[in-house]
Amino acid sequence: MLLKISELSARVAGKEILKGINLEVEAGEVHAIMGPNGSGKSTLAQVLAGREDYEVTGGSVLFEGRDLLTLPPEERARAGLFLGFQYPVEIPGVNNVYLLKAALNAKRKAAGEPEVDAYEFLALIKQKMKLMQMSETFLTRGVNEGFSGGEKKRNEVLQMLVLEPKLAILDETDSGLDIDALKVVSTGVNSLRDSKRAVVLVTHYQRLLDYIVPDRVHVLSAGRILKSGDRSLALELERRGYDWVKESKVA
Amino acid sequence: MSSPQPFAAAAAPTAALRSFEAQWLARQSESPRREPCSARDALSALRAEAMGRFLRLGLPTTRDESWRYTNLRRLAAESFIDAPRAPAASVEAADPLDSWRIAERLATMHMVNGFPMPPAQADAGARGNGALKHIEINYLRDFSRVNPDLVARHLSPLSDADGARWGLLNTALFTDGLYLKISGNLTAPLVIVHTAAADRPGTIAYPRVIVDAAPGSNATIIEHHVQHGEWTPLCNSATQLALGQDAAIEHYRIFATGSGCTHIDSLDVHQQRGSRCKQFTIALGGGLVRASLDAHLNEPGACLDSYSLLVGHEERHVDCVNIVTHRAANTRSQQTARSIAAGTSRVIFNSKVVVEAGAVQAQSQQSCRGLLLSDSAEIDSRPQLEIRADEVKCAHGATTGRLDPDMLFYMLSRGLDRGTAQSLLIYAFLADVLTGMSLNSARSAIEDALIAQLPDSQVLRSFR
Repeated sequence: MLLKISELSARVAGKEILKGINLEVEAGEVHAIMGPNGSGKSTLAQVLAGREDYEVTGGSVLFEGRDLLTLPPEERARAGLFLGFQYPVEIPGVNNVYLLKAALNAKRKAAGEPEVDAYEFLALIKQKMKLMQMSETFLTRGVNEGFSGGEKKRNEVLQMLVLEPKLAILDETDSGLDIDALKVVSTGVNSLRDSKRAVVLVTHYQRLLDYIVPDRVHVLSAGRILKSGDRSLALELERRGYDWVKESKVA
Repeated sequence: MSSPQPFAAAAAPTAALRSFEAQWLARQSESPRREPCSARDALSALRAEAMGRFLRLGLPTTRDESWRYTNLRRLAAESFIDAPRAPAASVEAADPLDSWRIAERLATMHMVNGFPMPPAQADAGARGNGALKHIEINYLRDFSRVNPDLVARHLSPLSDADGARWGLLNTALFTDGLYLKISGNLTAPLVIVHTAAADRPGTIAYPRVIVDAAPGSNATIIEHHVQHGEWTPLCNSATQLALGQDAAIEHYRIFATGSGCTHIDSLDVHQQRGSRCKQFTIALGGGLVRASLDAHLNEPGACLDSYSLLVGHEERHVDCVNIVTHRAANTRSQQTARSIAAGTSRVIFNSKVVVEAGAVQAQSQQSCRGLLLSDSAEIDSRPQLEIRADEVKCAHGATTGRLDPDMLFYMLSRGLDRGTAQSLLIYAFLADVLTGMSLNSARSAIEDALIAQLPDSQVLRSFR
């Protein structure tokens, strides 16, 4: 089991947002977590990544059998967890490539590997940039500095491709993308899919799942997973709306 | 005021004040002409006037507006004698600029406790190819004897403002210094290494530099203040930059003494028509650093860009005061200050822009940002405007905060160490000042020194 979440609850600014989440993700799987605004999708993603101002009030999270919640965010990342942010922050003055190189070296160091060779790194990053159809000017710019919404999302996926995480949690990576960008981002995510890795897609819309086909779909509402199913659940949600799940649960 | 009599002080004189007066009296009796200080030449008269005013006004206290954040009470209770002229050999061995890689400098001048060390001459290479034909390097002591009126003009007018008080004392008591006349386009920077070196506590130095940039000339000047040995004098340094029409000067003053050093530096800038001054004030060292900038945009088209990079480290106290006065139409000034404070340090940045009546179409910008790195540190930023003209464009802003938690979390979530992430963010915070530097070698030298004071410096080095 790559990820096992049991009865996870969490509070943000004194307000209970997650109220007992249960979720199991095996290596090789792609899961989609869907749900209406305010259901707790992003909170779950941030809690898993280790955001400190989000207070875990109960439950447990095991990542490859390790207690994830006791690790600081940087150690979670080095252990192979990656969060693709819904709103990637701009960091003027810190170069994109520097950040990525530092991130990769931190991971390699934790794994007992030597630092990446500068030329190999540049070749790697250029190859991945090509896949993500990103302009070369990216190399000289500050992290997400002046990027459009779509560029920021591509940059998140680029970072994921370079860091090759075991578990990627992509928080609304599809929002704000036009159809061409959505295809590019999906190609990037799909290129990472293999039997050793897993992806958790947090999304509002079924549309993304046309390009990245999930093994499991979960519906999150008011801090709980109300319903889980295969891909057809997403299609049904699209047709019938989230209220259908809420009502059927109550009934 | 023509005889070496004690001046009447308004308030009860402090020990420091009495010792400064004793220095003045000693200088009069040591005069080679064995004449009382007379009003024979303009310079002697001006200096006597400066001493008189200083004794009358006394040391500034926290009741004075520009000194409210820096308390000199302990210093005022001490007595001071002149710091010694240190032997040149030992000081040259300690020249830190070799490691600072400012290799392409045109000339290096060493000053120890304000005394120029021979030879105040150019590097051999530069001399050979005639690059020095546009610069004249003079010792202020000798130059003053020959050209007292000219020197007096540069040191005038005297000001009673509390921000200029220590400058007044320097004007009265400096014994030597440099007078640099720049007459053309200098192809490489001039470096002045100011070394503070004392053999005991209770000494004071009065380094003085006058830069006279002729119309149309162009130069980069670096004043680097360092320490040699365990003790330093109280440094009361002063520099004048006079920019003729269309002259362009890039000036750096870098404070890099040890934590025991108290340094009070006064910089006066006078700009004529169309001249451009780019000024960098970099506080990387010292225990107490007080750096003032008093800039006068005297004629139309004069333009000043001031950058301050103030690093509060451990117990350091940095107090930077800028006053920029727009005195003519179409003048432009911009001030960019970045302060960081760690440990129990305190950093103060006060800037004031004055637009005088008639200075229409003046433009000014003040951007002061502070970054607090510890709960015990303090930053005070205060941009002010005083406008007495119409049709001006003046903007100012000041913010102080901690490292952005979203930025920090983003970097941590990518696996970076907390220390590395913090250092990168600090570094990024300072980028607005660093990228303003035209001189790459100076920039990389300053970055090196800066990085050494940040956590995780080794990692940061690998980024450059």
